[in-house]
Amino acid sequence: MTVLDLAEWLKAEVLVVGEGSHRAIRRVVASDLMSDVLLVDDEDMLLLTSLASDQVLRTAQIVGAVGVIVVNGKALPSSMVAVANDLRLTLATCSLPKYEACVAVARALSAL
Amino acid sequence: MSDKARRSIALRESSDAGAESEPLVLLELIQRLKVRDVMTRKLATVPRSATLRQAQMLMRERKISGVPVEENGRFFGLVSVDDIIRALVAGTIDDPCHKHMTTKLVVLEDDMPVAFALRYFDRYHYGRFPVLNRDQRLVGIVCQRDINRALLVELTHELSRLENVMIQTSDADDAYHVYVLREFPVVKYDFENAGKAANQIKKVLQEKRFSPKDIRRIAVAAFELEMNLCVHSDGGVLSWLLANGRAEIIARDGGPGIEDVAWACRDGTSTANEWIRSMGFGAGMGLANVKRVADEFEIASKKGSGTTVKAVIRISAPDALQGASQQPG
Repeated sequence: MTVLDLAEWLKAEVLVVGEGSHRAIRRVVASDLMSDVLLVDDEDMLLLTSLASDQVLRTAQIVGAVGVIVVNGKALPSSMVAVANDLRLTLATCSLPKYEACVAVARALSAL
Repeated sequence: MSDKARRSIALRESSDAGAESEPLVLLELIQRLKVRDVMTRKLATVPRSATLRQAQMLMRERKISGVPVEENGRFFGLVSVDDIIRALVAGTIDDPCHKHMTTKLVVLEDDMPVAFALRYFDRYHYGRFPVLNRDQRLVGIVCQRDINRALLVELTHELSRLENVMIQTSDADDAYHVYVLREFPVVKYDFENAGKAANQIKKVLQEKRFSPKDIRRIAVAAFELEMNLCVHSDGGVLSWLLANGRAEIIARDGGPGIEDVAWACRDGTSTANEWIRSMGFGAGMGLANVKRVADEFEIASKKGSGTTVKAVIRISAPDALQGASQQPG
């Protein structure tokens, strides 16, 4: 399942389609603490977060994430789209709270 | 020198393509060096009761153009050549200094960056500035010659370091034909730009087709150190050197320094405030994470001074040299 498949499942709005959009998600990390995200060693990770900042995208690029989905229907700063485009990173936003988004993602992945 | 070695001594790249002609090393130096690093500490001073004639004799003896008036570290004023000339004309050369010294003075503080001092020289056109510490005690005096001398010494060190890298690269059989040095100034609390340097480093590594695993380790170390500079230091420079199958990342700052380095390197220890934590950082895992991904890790710090962290990551030859077609991560 790719980040675009998951975005559709979550009814998320895809703002930027990046380079990793075609890659299969190998792991999902839900965190607002970027220090924790930097400890994840797996490639092709999807990041779910309720933190809406450029630093989320910069962190995701560093760890090679396939994309970022911002949950809780957070209003994203306009700079996030520009940064996602610059870093060629898929960015989506969904209205579900983080826990519910995690449950939905788990269901989606187990349905495969 | 062989063509291969010549190719390997490729170029020095600046942090962005449009600024390649800017002397980044110099910019970094004048930000990193503090006034206390360049000032003259051995001062020739006179007490308030000394006569202007005594001050004049001292100036002639030491070949200096100004004498601070000071008692037990407390700074009262400065006797300049102009003051002496005026006293000779007015016949007051045997008066005590405190009657005719210059008291409306512009001073520098010892923990100001040299860049700040240079702006003062430009703005006020004085030949020298007295330097006070945080307790307002006179601790030195600085003139432009002091700054030039310190910059020359630092630049010589930097050139020597670069020459060593070039020699090592030219001697290597498989130097990966890569030599990259980049330096990125990092400003305190500049979250708008923090992380950009590490993002750029990762892009370059991907273009050169190193393995995703190596790229990730280098990128994580660079990002953690860059965020540390932004969050914990007064500002500094992130340097990245890629040569001879090694990536060397150095984060240097001018303060405030770490009191307990061993404590700072442990998981979960942090001095970050709530504002920084609200942005997803400051959990106290940065230095520990750098140690985790690096093959070599060094840290030197002194409270009240600065911190230098160096992480070295040994890397395998890029896919291109191995003839592989694996995509970078």
